[in-house]
Amino acid sequence: MSRNEIRIAGAGGQGVVTAGRILAEAAILSGSHATHSQVYGPQSRGGASRSDIVIATEPIAFPLADSIDLLFILSSDAFAKYEPELGPNGHLLVDTRCAPESLNGSATQYPVVDTARAVSGGQLVTGVVALGVLQAHTQCVEAEALRQAVAARVPVQHTKMNLEALSAGMGLVGGESS
Amino acid sequence: MSDVKTYLREWAMPHVLCPGCAHGIVLRSFLESVDQLQLDRDKVAMVAGIGCSSRLIGYVDFCTLHGTHGRAPAFATGLKLARPELNVVVVTGDGDALAIGGNHLIHAARRNIDMTVLMLNNAIYGMTGGQAAPTTPEGAVASTTPRGNTEPNFDACKLLIGAGASHVARVLAVNPLEMTKIMADAMTHPGFSFIEVISDCPEYFGRYNKVGGGAEMLSWMAVRDEGITIPLASKKFVKTLPPSTPLPGMQTGVLHREIRPVYSGVRGGQ
Amino acid sequence: MSAAQLLQGNEACVKGALAAGCSFYGGYPITPSSEIAEQMVRLLPKHGGVFIQMEDEIASLASVIGASLAGSKAMTATSGPGFSLMQEHIGYATMTEVPCVIVNVMRGGPSTGLPTSPSQGDVMQARWGTHGDHPAIVLAPASVGEVFDLTVKAFNLAERFRTPVILLYDEVIGHTRESVVLPESVDVIDRTQPTVEPADFWPKDAAPAGVPPMPAFGDGYRFHVTGLIHDHRGFPTTDGDIAEALITRLHDKIEENLDEVTDVETFMMDDAELAIFAYGIVGRSAHEAVLRAREAGIKAGLVRPLTIWPFPAAEVAAAARQVDTMIVAEMNLGQLIGEVERVAAGETKIVSYLRVDGEPITPTVLLDLCVSGGGGSS
Repeated sequence: MSRNEIRIAGAGGQGVVTAGRILAEAAILSGSHATHSQVYGPQSRGGASRSDIVIATEPIAFPLADSIDLLFILSSDAFAKYEPELGPNGHLLVDTRCAPESLNGSATQYPVVDTARAVSGGQLVTGVVALGVLQAHTQCVEAEALRQAVAARVPVQHTKMNLEALSAGMGLVGGESS
Repeated sequence: MSDVKTYLREWAMPHVLCPGCAHGIVLRSFLESVDQLQLDRDKVAMVAGIGCSSRLIGYVDFCTLHGTHGRAPAFATGLKLARPELNVVVVTGDGDALAIGGNHLIHAARRNIDMTVLMLNNAIYGMTGGQAAPTTPEGAVASTTPRGNTEPNFDACKLLIGAGASHVARVLAVNPLEMTKIMADAMTHPGFSFIEVISDCPEYFGRYNKVGGGAEMLSWMAVRDEGITIPLASKKFVKTLPPSTPLPGMQTGVLHREIRPVYSGVRGGQ
Repeated sequence: MSAAQLLQGNEACVKGALAAGCSFYGGYPITPSSEIAEQMVRLLPKHGGVFIQMEDEIASLASVIGASLAGSKAMTATSGPGFSLMQEHIGYATMTEVPCVIVNVMRGGPSTGLPTSPSQGDVMQARWGTHGDHPAIVLAPASVGEVFDLTVKAFNLAERFRTPVILLYDEVIGHTRESVVLPESVDVIDRTQPTVEPADFWPKDAAPAGVPPMPAFGDGYRFHVTGLIHDHRGFPTTDGDIAEALITRLHDKIEENLDEVTDVETFMMDDAELAIFAYGIVGRSAHEAVLRAREAGIKAGLVRPLTIWPFPAAEVAAAARQVDTMIVAEMNLGQLIGEVERVAAGETKIVSYLRVDGEPITPTVLLDLCVSGGGGSS
């Protein structure tokens, strides 16, 4: 029985919630069980935002994150808020721009925000670039399933840009999975 | 005149109304209007709140919903939206409609739901024992205003016109023929119709204010109705003035009529 | 069976309602239930139903009752503050025997409380919120799939017993997305119709524990509906014998058919020496904790009511007799534990874990309790 808990944390407007939802949908397309939860607050924009995804081969008893296996941080605020909560066995991925110099060696850095900006000119696809990184880094879902899930979730006029963002994210990890 | 008895649930008699109460006259005028319009009585649904006037619907042979205090327009909204072929008529009192139920009334008017609201205004809470209502005129005595009411009162028709009711009228219980005519007009109007019926409460308003019993109150109402004034529900209650003195009062008749889109909820396209 | 899909609890509620035949929704926005209204307004018209956003929660339930009397299966959804406003009409629907479904997606209270955090603080309000003696049927799903199933059941029980049915779940169940496989079709119950001619019809003709047939307004049966104590004609009376018979029947029609209402899941209880009693999202934590406890050699089991009112007294008493310790975990300061103590007093050691900080109870803390609370560890 495998249970994998992933948290994607960033700033409002980076598409973190949508990215988590897409990851859970990709997990289902890959034949796994999945849950997705988010933190709700009174504001619609700004502030720290997070998505928790649980992926398991068996039906999931407790649907929320209890012990994060992988934390992906996309903003400085999110780093300050969520990095200290990561347990000793949790793995950390972090955007290059928000990684402090003192970051320990076990964390892996990727230029997610810069890549998103290069693809879209803004930050909206940041979450999708992160999904590409996640997939290539962990193989937690199948690449094709993730492409399908992205295409099914984003607005049709933005499909091409989001698939480009996904591929760019995959390409940041050695390039072999894109 | 038709035999309106055929519209009554005679098995439910005797009724709860006091001697001298004009609500019975109002009910008769309403049944005359139903008869004139030849409405299918299976398709007439009457909805009421709590109070003396609301109890009227128990005695009529239609589908009748005696709801909760003030909420009749909200019950009626669900009924009408779920079954648009029903002729939905709300019977309510001044306290029911304007105090506890004010919010529901103005929103039903705003939406222009196709229903007719008869608000029987006796300027006091009758069923609970004569307490002041939002319609009790300044100066009038009620069990909760023993030294005379010091609050301003509502002009219900102005309120409803402001809220968007597309048909607004005021009638006097002392004029049954005009009541029937205006009620029939309101029921055929597409959209939200509001009729304020000036009724009486001899048992509490009449007794507390020493203005006599039912007959005296109705005759006073008749004298004062020269198109403009209704003392019992006018802005300031001055019982010492002689009956022929015009008071700054409220107009009767149809006060507002417009045709605008009727709301029937979010439903599938045909 | 359809394919697996990722759904929120609030979305599953809408799908369950439509599967059960819901054709009217009247509601007022409130976190964390608003997704139900937002989905309903999109889907209900496609299914031939009607949606309206009312001016407040009092009006919402009034519109639902009006629509139900017009023959619709009708529902509303809210959270704690709105649920408080609905209590007047929950009593009205109980007394007039008008079927309807009320969803309360619980958030932290009292008052405006913690609008975006989960809670189980409305368990007693769901049972006793409206005034007077009255029965209550309250269902507590613990997963997105169960929200679908119990929404269908809520409509069916409402129709079967002509009574309001409350679906009570917390913010986590409402908002969390889970992979679910929904059934292609469900069994649907409709209110019974009169077999007599309109001239011979009285709206409250029923056997002592019976449910009277219910035609719709406009069907040709002209009848009176009132929240006052009424006789078989549906007409107000102050006769004490009639009052007692009516109130008793309202209870008995449900109490004498508990097999159709009560549902309790037991998990690993066959040889359990310690049981966790939990419902809703806490039931999920407890399930995970039991799995981990078993791995650690502790003979733990789970008792999880899906129907919390009427309280499943017989089932909980039987479980209590079997175990040495029963841990009761709730996201409130002790509501359903009072019922557990009432039916299990003297049968087992009852330990409580209660939490009102807006955070869900995790499997880890329940596992710790299993370890420290005695049970199978030695």
